[in-house]
Amino acid sequence: MTTRWSRLMAVLVAVGMLSGVIAVGALAQSESKTSLIGKLEGPEVVTDAGKIPKAFKEAPQLAELVKAGKLPPVAERIGQDPLVIKPLHSIGKYGGTWRSGFTGPADFWNGFRCCSGPDHLMFWDYTGDKAMPNIAKGLEMQDGGRAWLVHLRRGMKWSDGKPFTADDFVFWFEDIYRNKDLVPTPSAQLAINGKQGSIEKVDTHTVRFKFPEPYFMLPDVLAGATDLAGQGFAYRGMGGFAPAHYLKQFHPKYVGQAELDKKVKDAKFDSWVRMFLAKNDWALNPDLPVVSPWKTATPINTPTWTLERNPYSVFVDTAGNQLPYIDKVVLTLAENLEVLNLRAIAGEYDYQQRHIDLGKLPVLIENQQKGGYKVHLDPGDYGGDMIIKFNLSYDADPEIAKWFNTADFRRALSLGIDRDQINETFWLGTGTPGSVVPADTNKYNPGPQYRKMWSTLDLKKANEILDKIGLAKKDAQGYRLRADGKGRLRIEIMTLGGQFVQYTQISEMIREQWKKIGIDLQVQEVERSLALKRTAANEQQLGAWNNDGSEHLFTFPLHVFPFELAAVATSGPLYVKWFHSAGAQGKEPEPRMKELMEKWKKAFGVPEKERIQLGKDIWKIAAEEVYIIGVVGVGPAANGVRIVKTNMGNIPARQYNSPDGKTPAISRPATFYYK
Amino acid sequence: MLAYIGRRALLALFTVWAISVLSFAIIQLPPGDYVTSYIAQMASSGSVVTEEEAQNLRIQYGLGQPIYVQYLKWMNLIVRGNFGMSMEWRRPVAEVIGERLWLTVVVSVAALILTWVLALPIGIYSAVRQYSPGDYAATFVGFIGLAVPNFLLALVLLYLGFVLFNAHIGGLFSPELQDAPWSTARVVDLLKHLPVPALILGLAGTAQQVRIMRANLLDELRKPYVVTARSKGLSELRVLLKYPVRLALNPFASTIGYTLPYIVSGSIIVSLVLGLPTVGPLLLKALIAQDMFLAGTIVLLLGLMTVIGTLISDIVLVWIDPRIRLEET
Amino acid sequence: MATTPDAVLEPAGAPPVPDARSVTDARIFVASQWQLMWWRFRRHKVAVASAVVVLGFYLVVVGADFLAYADPDASEAQRSLMPPQRVYLLDGWRFAPYVHGVKGVRDPNTFKRVYRPDPSQKVPLRFFAQGFEYRFLGLIPATRHLIGVDGGDAEKRIFLLGTDVQGRDLWSRLMYGTRISLTIGLIGVSLSLVLGVVLGGLSGFYGGVIDTLIQRTIEILRSIPTIPLWMGLAAAMPRDWTILQVYFAITLIISLLGWTDLARVVRGRFLAMREEDFVVSARLVGCTRTRTIFVHMVPSFMSHIIAATTLALPAMIISETALSFLGLGLRPPAISWGVLLQQAQNVQTVAISPWLMLPAVPVIVAVMAFNFLGDGLRDAADPYGR
Repeated sequence: MTTRWSRLMAVLVAVGMLSGVIAVGALAQSESKTSLIGKLEGPEVVTDAGKIPKAFKEAPQLAELVKAGKLPPVAERIGQDPLVIKPLHSIGKYGGTWRSGFTGPADFWNGFRCCSGPDHLMFWDYTGDKAMPNIAKGLEMQDGGRAWLVHLRRGMKWSDGKPFTADDFVFWFEDIYRNKDLVPTPSAQLAINGKQGSIEKVDTHTVRFKFPEPYFMLPDVLAGATDLAGQGFAYRGMGGFAPAHYLKQFHPKYVGQAELDKKVKDAKFDSWVRMFLAKNDWALNPDLPVVSPWKTATPINTPTWTLERNPYSVFVDTAGNQLPYIDKVVLTLAENLEVLNLRAIAGEYDYQQRHIDLGKLPVLIENQQKGGYKVHLDPGDYGGDMIIKFNLSYDADPEIAKWFNTADFRRALSLGIDRDQINETFWLGTGTPGSVVPADTNKYNPGPQYRKMWSTLDLKKANEILDKIGLAKKDAQGYRLRADGKGRLRIEIMTLGGQFVQYTQISEMIREQWKKIGIDLQVQEVERSLALKRTAANEQQLGAWNNDGSEHLFTFPLHVFPFELAAVATSGPLYVKWFHSAGAQGKEPEPRMKELMEKWKKAFGVPEKERIQLGKDIWKIAAEEVYIIGVVGVGPAANGVRIVKTNMGNIPARQYNSPDGKTPAISRPATFYYK
Repeated sequence: MLAYIGRRALLALFTVWAISVLSFAIIQLPPGDYVTSYIAQMASSGSVVTEEEAQNLRIQYGLGQPIYVQYLKWMNLIVRGNFGMSMEWRRPVAEVIGERLWLTVVVSVAALILTWVLALPIGIYSAVRQYSPGDYAATFVGFIGLAVPNFLLALVLLYLGFVLFNAHIGGLFSPELQDAPWSTARVVDLLKHLPVPALILGLAGTAQQVRIMRANLLDELRKPYVVTARSKGLSELRVLLKYPVRLALNPFASTIGYTLPYIVSGSIIVSLVLGLPTVGPLLLKALIAQDMFLAGTIVLLLGLMTVIGTLISDIVLVWIDPRIRLEET
Repeated sequence: MATTPDAVLEPAGAPPVPDARSVTDARIFVASQWQLMWWRFRRHKVAVASAVVVLGFYLVVVGADFLAYADPDASEAQRSLMPPQRVYLLDGWRFAPYVHGVKGVRDPNTFKRVYRPDPSQKVPLRFFAQGFEYRFLGLIPATRHLIGVDGGDAEKRIFLLGTDVQGRDLWSRLMYGTRISLTIGLIGVSLSLVLGVVLGGLSGFYGGVIDTLIQRTIEILRSIPTIPLWMGLAAAMPRDWTILQVYFAITLIISLLGWTDLARVVRGRFLAMREEDFVVSARLVGCTRTRTIFVHMVPSFMSHIIAATTLALPAMIISETALSFLGLGLRPPAISWGVLLQQAQNVQTVAISPWLMLPAVPVIVAVMAFNFLGDGLRDAADPYGR
């Protein structure tokens, strides 16, 4: 009798303790998630003329060169209109080498994100919301949005000491952008409603962007990672400006074809176009004049990509110190992601965000002490770290095409995904299950209810919907049969391996989950180039990817609706042509998608308030129609796990994680320093 | 003798040519070309390459032409000592491969030496004490390298190195000396980083060498002269070492030609896991990106190494063992 | 991946057969070739043990469904990365194996999943219990498994070797992985065998131009680094093939390189045997070429073939794991040793969830076993030898 009672007591106590532990765990979980996710903060650009410092200081080694007569004095190098940045926490100290890792010559984004300044004309503030003046001193709207005056900074110089003037913009526009060999396709971002704009010189320090129609979104386009954003895309002939004095020697208009051909042959290039674009490549050519705080010293196609301080950097802090504080950035080659992550774990990197695998979070945390670093999580603002796109223009199998174009089918499939499972397994609980809409704090978010719309686990409803639309019949294993009588309904999802997010494994999990709603999903992992080929050929059925960048849906529309043919996952390649040719070619999408596309196009030419409303409407349609299923988002899986050595200063607790913001550029690495 | 060498050399040349054709063909097998791979890479990082740009790239890289034209162009370049341009690295192939090729050789040779150091005693012991528990134990050790998946072993050793010894992760040099010019310090640094890769690769090749050593030594031990030597009163050790082992070593030495390609091949995977600056990871990336000339050149060079190795082995063998010469005729 | 010179494939001295001598001298003289081979083989103790191990592996291949207790694809986030459970064999004094129930939660500070066994929950293990449904030998529907629990939901209760990231039971996955890996090996080796015997035979029997051609091809194939060859071939495979088709294509690719060794052995044997008395007399008597080959020559080197084939198998297994590592071989959702190892090939596994590396153990054991077995067979293969 007593033993039974004591056993019962023991069980009760155990259960009580266990539930207590779980409850505390749940509480602590939310608490601790925050300890890794800090408060959003960052340095600010100072625009108040009164706060601009009058006297400047420079790094000791530059001071030496000035004394030796090899460099002009710092005030002369910076000019009259410095770009003043108020450091996040404190004025820093000069010195130090920033060690980091990259994966090879294709990893140029690594360098752009950390060290290119950024060199955009405008740039986002640390919240990612507002476009602030950057390389441009100011932007002035004229003629109802049809013209924009860009005021440059007086006395600003390229990294080789030559003046940075309006001529560099004209050179870019006339001799690079308009040269069909260098730039065969004009950029959609220098155009409004399909009509190209132009750039003209007003005076030495003023440039005018002119458009046939009002282009209200230009400031955002200049701020984001677009074709007009500095030397990031110079390797494709884009950028908005280019060092005329340097590049003229590689251009047939100034040098003469014969002499140029000789140069090309000597340098072993295949054609003058290849040579020109290679010379204009920020990551590849150490001789290219730049305006970023660091410039490439040993290029990206060597085992160590080093960047050194730019003595003519126009960036300064509020005390007049010329930025950057850090002398050198050294990126070492790690051809294998495990090696790179292990080096980060071992503390061989000072600040590493790119290529860090969220799955290794426990190991990273474990070694914080030993490695002398701290782990930060920067969740992105976009709704889908993992999304599933339906190819609505798929036509190889009419039955499947029919279902893909049935909104209820898509909704039911979305309801059949257990997102909490996926979040727990692959995001270690740090993501947010939901639809594709961006974070609640994003200005285009249509409202909190859209996060959960069609994006919860509701097997009953999913099964009901599928039964209702005509897929009620099932085979012996419980899979639904096709309505055309050709057996089991089987759909295929295409995934890419080796990415920051485990698309294939997640799709496998979804495959198991969809068994419960009777859908047979085949998972196919393919290689990048094959994925591309199949999507372009309209062969993809479902595609797994992420929608990063969609938080700035107007500059990054790729994952909102079918915008590009070259995509590893697509919602409708046949619609891309239709969209770009304004209906002349391709296939017309269904009404609601058309509506979405129209709204998107319209947004470029309307003032901000209207644009924000259009953005919200677009996301509303996306959430209601479920063209793309959102699985888990607002998470740190892509570029969101940050290792920072404890001896670095001006490091934000949390930064806005966005490709448009070129994170960590948005935190102004020029203000990082070693304590 | 000279005729034999001449004939083998000619055959070797033919083999090398055949390898060049095959390697070029293999690289072209996957659908698409470098530009498709390039576009894919750009797309997955959010950049855009329009169709016209792609077309331009194709024309500029000469990718639009039929395969045999591209192959002839490549052969043309090689004959002049120029291996072409790597599209991914945008540098001449020779520069990209540069230091890596002979670092590959260094690692492979280190592995080879380790293989011999391990295989020799095990092989001898195994032959002399055949079917004893010691034999089984020694053979077990010799074979373990063959059985353990070396990529997993490499990762485990990498991690253990960090946890237990705070060792620098992977690579063949410390970061400071990575790009430095050659000096004693750099050589010492290299030697310090060699043991782990050499061990993993060396273990893999040991099994084969053990077998050969054992087989040859057993053959020798049954020969009449061994009985004679024993009956003459030589100590067991001298009996063993003076003649049979030396004779058994001969074919052993001639197997370099077979072991080296095996090790080089195996080193591709291990190099990738350990992040070594050898030819292996370079080749893998080039194959994935379909960087034609780079991949083709590396495969060609590796094949060439093998053929030369085999040629040397055969010549050494013939030189030592006249019977084979007679067999060939 | 292995290129083996002739010396390796030749017998390295067979064990003496003193036992047989002690039986009756006469028996040796009337014993068949196979009996002699068996007696020789029996002496090689490790080889015999290896044979038993190999047999054990193939029993797993046949009975994988029976030996597994959980659906290898059943994922569950709450069971993610569980370490192996401790099995208690004695409940009091009785032999009644059981495990403890387990509760898991993600530690908010370390982000690791922490599992605490709950001693109050005893889950007795039942033998021949009900479990998930399967088809034995692909034909007979069954639900009995070797191990299970009352209630039939073993996947929620037993985790003998722990679970992977998706919460799938490793033991069950290992059973299925064994099946696929070993059958690939077998099929691949058979293909190599056919290619090797045919091409090697042609080469050795006819000599001349055919011989030179085939020999050159072999040399070329052996000189090319295997990995680019694999990559090219694997990349050329159409992507819309099902797992099964990919599987067969992989075996084909691996065996395309493995036949060279066998071909050389066969060729060597043919060359040596061409001049043997019994072959010459067979021709003189009037046997057709086919008969000469298949009735007279082949049986005499059959034993060598068997030995060489057995030695080729471990190379297949290792190749399969290498291919999976490179992402060229079998991929999830297929389960093989290569796939399991590839999923364990990361820092977090080595550091935090090392049990996921356990699939390396059967790989090592299988490769060693096949090697010792092959050695034993080869040593025994030459019954008339020294």
